[in-house]
Amino acid sequence: MSAATTPSTPGADGIFVAPLVVEYPYKRTVGTLLSRFFLSLQEGRLEGTRGSDGRVFFPPAEFDPVTGRALDEWVTLPETGTVTTWAWQSVPQPNQPLEHPFAWALITIDGTEVPMLHAVDAGDIGRIRTGSRVKVRWAAERSGGVRDIACFDLLEEAS
Amino acid sequence: MADLCAVVGVGQTKHASCRADVSIAGLVREAVDRALADANIGIDDVDAIVIGKAPDPLEGVAMPELWLADALAAHGKPVFRVHTAGSVGGSTAIVAAQHVMAGIHGTVLTIGFEKQSDGNAMWALSVPIPFGMPVHAGAGGYFSPIVRGYIKRSGAPSHVGAMVAVKDRTNACRNPYAHLHEPDWTLEKALESPMMWDPIRFVETCPSSDGAMALVLMSEERADKHAGPKAWVHATAMRSEPTAFAGREQVSPRAGEMCAEDLWRKGGITNPAKEIDVAEIYVPFAWFEPMWLENLGFASRNEGWRWVEDGITDIGGALPVNPSGGVMSTNPIGASGMLRFGEAAMQVMGKAGEHQIDGARKAIGHAYGGGSQFFAMWLVSNGKP
Repeated sequence: MSAATTPSTPGADGIFVAPLVVEYPYKRTVGTLLSRFFLSLQEGRLEGTRGSDGRVFFPPAEFDPVTGRALDEWVTLPETGTVTTWAWQSVPQPNQPLEHPFAWALITIDGTEVPMLHAVDAGDIGRIRTGSRVKVRWAAERSGGVRDIACFDLLEEAS
Repeated sequence: MADLCAVVGVGQTKHASCRADVSIAGLVREAVDRALADANIGIDDVDAIVIGKAPDPLEGVAMPELWLADALAAHGKPVFRVHTAGSVGGSTAIVAAQHVMAGIHGTVLTIGFEKQSDGNAMWALSVPIPFGMPVHAGAGGYFSPIVRGYIKRSGAPSHVGAMVAVKDRTNACRNPYAHLHEPDWTLEKALESPMMWDPIRFVETCPSSDGAMALVLMSEERADKHAGPKAWVHATAMRSEPTAFAGREQVSPRAGEMCAEDLWRKGGITNPAKEIDVAEIYVPFAWFEPMWLENLGFASRNEGWRWVEDGITDIGGALPVNPSGGVMSTNPIGASGMLRFGEAAMQVMGKAGEHQIDGARKAIGHAYGGGSQFFAMWLVSNGKP
């Protein structure tokens, strides 16, 4: 933990504003089930879990959202999906997935029904639409995290 | 007036410094599955869920009860979150009991949890606010002057804290779920334990644990039809006071005394020392055992430490305190209060296994939190009130 409470100085109006910076590291124990998800990403594979109603969740759900049952049936998924909806990041910010303009998109991986949020390197706002087909672009170096998927690329569409 | 309520199922996780094998959701579910199995009901039989944990900065997940809905099978059910710092496990069980006593729900599942390995509980609650002097000493630093105040006021010999520590660590070896299993403590060895926050030694402090406790509560109508042992809730009480105010009694806070008086009155107890068979009391630093014995009205003022010296609080003593090993052996903060409440229930249900107190009929669970400012207690029995 680190925190700063350096003495405050009054403004011209004599009013003090005390600085308070709190920086505090956490970690997240993900357990055995989600460890498999992170390992599969590191190995360049998409794996989801199947729910009680047959739906496949990616990222995997640990417990069934309908019945609460602990889920343990894994399904290996293709690297392709469909854009469900999207927003355009015209001025990328530090630590975002791409340094040039890109789309944030809800992507439904083929074989699943619940979309996930990720980035699409569409190049130009005019090239992406709801329904666009996309494919995973893997990160060059993978460490077992959702950013092992660098972003998604648009698939060329048959016209 | 109020309906009756009984505990029909108790389940806890194996507690450890880091349960890396489970997520927060998996940890909670482990306790829930055991409580449901103990009650011999399914998760679909639950009408409502009441969940509590210590403040969210401990794990850094805001409002985790929302995220945990799947793990709790809460789909379409009411979920209620309770926040009262370290006493929260007790307060949560009380709120759950009130869901039943109010006649609203027949079967209520209640859970207290903490996954302290995901953060650092000691520092997460020590944000140095600009208008207060930052101590940077954690809970031990906060409580050590209060313990010193007790020692000075009562004239207790300096080894009493170590005696409590040895008792609780030894008791914990009878509890398969306890975090610390350290059978080799002796008083001599404990007195050599490093001084952390004088007069509190390292051995006299609780560990930091991952863990969860879950209880299944039923209305009288349901419980009467339910096979198996029950712990009937005879009384519940909660009181709070500010951390600091002019003239505050820090060693034996008025809120704690009032809470206990309320509990005894509601439960029809006139002589707690005689009528209570076993007590699970929230003791995160060993010296709090004699302090709370006095605050609760078991021992007279300045006499609590003599109960420790005389072995009254040992398993086999007249009032066994924390036969489970207590907070001194297991401390997932948000679960710790419910562990006290649940262990008290287990005693009167005859389900405490190796740390069972023979013939326990009436037991109390006690929790406190913050700067000794939040109190929650319940009195349970194997018979109806």
